[in-house]
Amino acid sequence: MRASELSWSATEAWKGDQTKSHSANLVLYFGARRALAEQARFDELREIFPKAHILGCSAGGQIHNGDVVDDKITALAICFDTTNLKLVCEPVEDPDSSFACGTAIGRALKGDDLAGIFVLSDGLNVNGSKLVAGITSVVGREVSLTGGLAGDGADFSETLIGADDAPRAHRVAAVGFYGPAIRIGHGSAGGWDVFGPRRRITKSIGNLLLELDGQPALHLYERYLGEEDAKGLPGSALLFPLQVCNPNRPDSDIMRTVLAVDRERRTMTFAGDVPEGWIAQLMHGNFDRLSAGAADAARQAQYGIGDGESVAILVSCIGRRLLMGQRISDEIEAASAELGSKTRRIGFYSYGGISPHAASGACELHNQTMTITTFYEAA
Amino acid sequence: MHKLFAKLLAKATKSSGQLDLDLLGQLVSTAFEEADHDRRRTDRSISLMVEELDQLNRGLEKTIAERTKQLFQREAELISQNQRFDAAINNMAQGLCMFDAENRLLVCNAQYAKMYSLTAEQMKVGTPLRTILEHRFATGMCPKDEEDFVERVIDRTSSRKPYVLVSEQADGRIISYVYQPIAGGSWVGVHQDITEQRRAEEKIAHMAHHDALTGLPNRVLLREQLNHHLRDVQRSVSFAVLCLDLDYFKQVNDTLGHPIGDALLCAVANRLRECVQDTDVVTRLGGDEFAIVQIGVEQPTSASTLAQKLVDALAKPFSVDGHELVIGTSVGVSVTPNDGTDADVLLKNADMALYRAKENGRSGFSFFEPEMDAKMHERRTLEIDLRKAIAVGEFELFYQPLMNLETDTFSGFEALLRWNHPTKGLISPTSFIPLAEDTGLIIPLGEWVLRQACSEAAKWPENIKVAVNLSPVQFRSKNLVSMVASAIANSGIAATRLELEITETAMLQNTEQTVSALHMLQGIGVRVSMDDFGTGYSSLSYLRSFPFDKIKIDQSFIRDLDKGNEAIAIIRAISGLGKTLGMTTTVEGIETEGQLEQVRAEGCSEVQGYLFGKPQPASEVPCLLSSFGKRSQAAA
Repeated sequence: MRASELSWSATEAWKGDQTKSHSANLVLYFGARRALAEQARFDELREIFPKAHILGCSAGGQIHNGDVVDDKITALAICFDTTNLKLVCEPVEDPDSSFACGTAIGRALKGDDLAGIFVLSDGLNVNGSKLVAGITSVVGREVSLTGGLAGDGADFSETLIGADDAPRAHRVAAVGFYGPAIRIGHGSAGGWDVFGPRRRITKSIGNLLLELDGQPALHLYERYLGEEDAKGLPGSALLFPLQVCNPNRPDSDIMRTVLAVDRERRTMTFAGDVPEGWIAQLMHGNFDRLSAGAADAARQAQYGIGDGESVAILVSCIGRRLLMGQRISDEIEAASAELGSKTRRIGFYSYGGISPHAASGACELHNQTMTITTFYEAA
Repeated sequence: MHKLFAKLLAKATKSSGQLDLDLLGQLVSTAFEEADHDRRRTDRSISLMVEELDQLNRGLEKTIAERTKQLFQREAELISQNQRFDAAINNMAQGLCMFDAENRLLVCNAQYAKMYSLTAEQMKVGTPLRTILEHRFATGMCPKDEEDFVERVIDRTSSRKPYVLVSEQADGRIISYVYQPIAGGSWVGVHQDITEQRRAEEKIAHMAHHDALTGLPNRVLLREQLNHHLRDVQRSVSFAVLCLDLDYFKQVNDTLGHPIGDALLCAVANRLRECVQDTDVVTRLGGDEFAIVQIGVEQPTSASTLAQKLVDALAKPFSVDGHELVIGTSVGVSVTPNDGTDADVLLKNADMALYRAKENGRSGFSFFEPEMDAKMHERRTLEIDLRKAIAVGEFELFYQPLMNLETDTFSGFEALLRWNHPTKGLISPTSFIPLAEDTGLIIPLGEWVLRQACSEAAKWPENIKVAVNLSPVQFRSKNLVSMVASAIANSGIAATRLELEITETAMLQNTEQTVSALHMLQGIGVRVSMDDFGTGYSSLSYLRSFPFDKIKIDQSFIRDLDKGNEAIAIIRAISGLGKTLGMTTTVEGIETEGQLEQVRAEGCSEVQGYLFGKPQPASEVPCLLSSFGKRSQAAA
């Protein structure tokens, strides 16, 4: 397995090692929505990588050379020696059709030697929890399922997915990895700290949160954000993610991040389910601990990966970037230090990561975490 | 250098190595703004969190205060409930204890401690069951003859099966004990001293099987004994049932009162006890009836010996409360297996034998014989017929003339009862009068006779008397005198025309009441005759105790006239006696002219017999009177 990095900017066009581009069979790319929306970018990549599956999405910042950039499209071309790939793409109209979309993808990829799936989903019109549940219901829990939800910076207006075509909204694309040689590692960690009282979710519908402790949830957020940040909703709500857990299984806590707010109805839409009766607690981040969380995710993802050349896809959350500002490169550095020099890295700031839960092993949608997937092909 | 500043410096340094100061300033300014923003956000969130936590804390404090208050209330309720519980368990009649799964005392009540004399130390929570059991064993407060008591109880509790047992303690108490396992391995024991209850039950059982007066076993126990021995009969052990009935006991009771009667029964019971073997059972069946079950291989000889012994023993006078009482007994005997193999049959047969013994004259004994049963059956049939006969009027009076020897005219007629049985024809009074007397039917029958005779006599000439026989049993009726007065009044005859004939037996029984009734009858003008004189005791004391108007000399003397001089001598003596005492003397059974002349010569005043006429239906009386009148006129 070999990999090479490329990048595009308005001033420099595509840069990077393109000598073996004809042998690449998978290209991953991430960029700002506006940059990706142009058909030309895909056409250029197809020209460079005529035989590869080209999979990409819009993001809220791209990881490039150990830093986060907004003005570049980053890409990673991978040449698998023995592993077979299959790329599928399914449309998704709204969050309610997420499970059905997931099952369609699962059915399309299911195969005896299916070792793992990497999925990129529309970040605004999908209930990530349901999508994951839909895929898992078909392929089973033993197949590695990782990926992320496309981002749109702090705009939350549209997200795009490209799957061997120019990126578009309302779709979910996934690539399946087949064969005995492929090794897939994964890790996910937040580093956020819970604070304040534990609250009960007293009213919710799926991923729509209405009330906490009998009070409108949006009211709580507005209070904590203050006038200054409340104007920036829903983006500013990412500064206070929510930890939810089933009171009957207190160790199964999951972070949930806000996708949208409805000021009139006083409701908030989260990237995953916020079930009624569960316990919720606000979280806040500390720069050092968020960076430590990213390093922890990298350590988890390295487990079981061979010593040779490998690839890591870092899916961090836009909320982390909003909080850390210029210090965001700290978490990239922390993760990179753990991944080592033999691992080629690419990544983006998303609206949610997909990875098995570190404690339960069940694949879930993660918000506000650093989610890392590693690929290694055994000889 | 600060790590961030180093990064910003690197970012602001161009590839040529030249520093872009404007960019650096912009980056540094942004970094400061971000830091300020983060600090403000952090401050705000901390302040809100503190506020929220404080609010929550107040809420919690309030909740704790409420809960504490509730706990105090609950505690007070529990204390009160515990006090009630203590009062309840300590006032229970039963001893109650509760032990945990390791057989350590959890709680016990005062009664439990009292029952087994437990010390305060032994009543403490946690006292091992073994300690208490060992204390009970050492002090004899455990079931008697149970050397392994302690281990046995501990084994039983480990089985965890509920049980109930009653045991007699070494100290004599009877304790009932209930073991009941409860959830969680603990168990409850309830102990009750039922000694008194048992004694009472035993007493009740004794009372149910014994006669309260004499202390003898009663009919219930007799039956049980019989059934018990009857099972032995099948193993060839023969036994006898002796039924006793006291003679003249009723007179003692009637004349001296029940206290004396009761004392006499006790004395009789003692005497009976003295007569029997230890293996025999003496029982009182009720009233003056007793029964004895005699076990003896030599049957019927043993029973015969015993029966005679009983008759002899009870014939001896009893001294009761200053009274010298002479009674006697009749005994009926039935013997297994010939006379029955069933308690009821044996008793019935012994009773029949007793009846026979009484019939044969008192103070004797009889063994049951199979024909007694037939006779008894016949008697029962007759009783049924008799009742029916009284109801439907199957009786008729016949009249036999009495002849006055001074005037040679009919002086009156004796009314004689006849029963026209629908299937058996005419039945003699000797066949049914004893039965009527035994059953009490003589009272209505006697009244019918009297009223019928009086109303018939009303049709006769006024100088013609009517004689009616009275049964001794009728004298027991308190209404006799008023009944006679009523019959006379209803018929309209003069009281002096009625002659009531009584036998010696009437004089023997209840003398005072009888004599008093006779005086009253004589007081209203009725004449009273002593009937069948000369056959029984013929005690002259009777003649002295009451001024009879007439003595009727029994017809047996007339039959014996031609056998020698004794009969005529007696007739002469009685006739003389009558004259002296001013009593009419009537001779019964005159059948020949010779007999008539003999008694006339001895000075008798009246005769009766076939020579003057057999008993005739009432319809024949007028004709008889008329024809005799003509005959006597012709003779004159």
